[in-house]
Amino acid sequence: MINELLLQFGHWMEAQEYSQMLVSGYYSYNWVEAIHVLTLMVSIGSLFVIDFRMMGWLLPNVPATTIAHRLHKPMIIGFVIMFITGALLVYAKPVETIQSLWFRIKMVLLLLAFINAWIFNARLKAAEGTWDNDPVAPKNLRSGAIISIVLWCSVVTMGRYIPYDWVDCANTSNTTILWAAGCVDQLNAL
Amino acid sequence: MISTILNQYRATASVVAVLAVIILLELLGFRSAIYPSLLPAFEWIKYSTPIGVIGTTYGSIYATVEALHLISMATIGGLVLATDLRLLNVVLRDTPSETIVEGTYKVFKVALVVAVLTGIFCAAGVADKVYYMPVFWIKMGVLAAGSVFMIFFKQPLLSGVPHSEISPWSIRLLAVTSILIWFTVAATGRWIGFS
Repeated sequence: MINELLLQFGHWMEAQEYSQMLVSGYYSYNWVEAIHVLTLMVSIGSLFVIDFRMMGWLLPNVPATTIAHRLHKPMIIGFVIMFITGALLVYAKPVETIQSLWFRIKMVLLLLAFINAWIFNARLKAAEGTWDNDPVAPKNLRSGAIISIVLWCSVVTMGRYIPYDWVDCANTSNTTILWAAGCVDQLNAL
Repeated sequence: MISTILNQYRATASVVAVLAVIILLELLGFRSAIYPSLLPAFEWIKYSTPIGVIGTTYGSIYATVEALHLISMATIGGLVLATDLRLLNVVLRDTPSETIVEGTYKVFKVALVVAVLTGIFCAAGVADKVYYMPVFWIKMGVLAAGSVFMIFFKQPLLSGVPHSEISPWSIRLLAVTSILIWFTVAATGRWIGFS
């Protein structure tokens, strides 16, 4: 049911004039994709600096909350640009993207990354002032930082897999993959 | 007198000398002469080396290494921004810039090594294509310039001396140059995929 609804939504988006303009303009699509990838350096780059500090790998002599608070703004700016350009990339190729297994895994990982960030921020706030000058963060913050690094590395990897067609609807007959990727037509034809 | 000036402006003199050699080699047609002879080496890398063969045979390994390349570039970007925006007094203003410059350099070097190694693997898989791409050669040139700039100029200039003793304009120039170099490396890398 959810797969059918998502596919209908994809077809509706694909029929939009601006979606067609975006995907047919060689440079417009490439520019959006380039900005999406380049803002990784601002968003995930800043996030990694914060996570590395929590792990004690970077700037152990600088208070951790100072790093976290001061880099929060550029990191958020980076993420906002990344999400806008990411949404535009989906809007340009909606059916293809919605039926991509890698895109779906990426969305689940993104959700997990945000839940982890929310828990991490709550823990950081609760522990503020108790360990700030220690070279390594307390265990619960370190685990949050390492989960963040792993999740975001996985998000980037899934994003990199999306253009490849190994498990596209047309290239697989495995029903579990077809269901997970939302290949409605292929499932109905079985 | 000349030796006194050279000693005083050693870094500047080195840059001028390197640029003069590059211009001279270009005027003598060195690049045009050597370019065709590089094609067999690129074809050998793609078809005869383990990294080239793995890259062309296993798409999933190639894509995973590509992702690792992106992650290392993102790490470089984060470190460059934290350091250079501090030098420009935009972020982390309550932390001495000397501390940030010293503290980020070690991880920067590790990220750069990972980016270069994964980049070699990625280029090996499509070596016969990138050979013909001007944007690939621009990226290699900027990457080489960026590495030399970081290791031999920026870091030595900013290490071991209080930044208050360096002209603020020199510091700003170093920071802006560094941001421009590393974002050009990333942007040209992205454009290779579109070419």
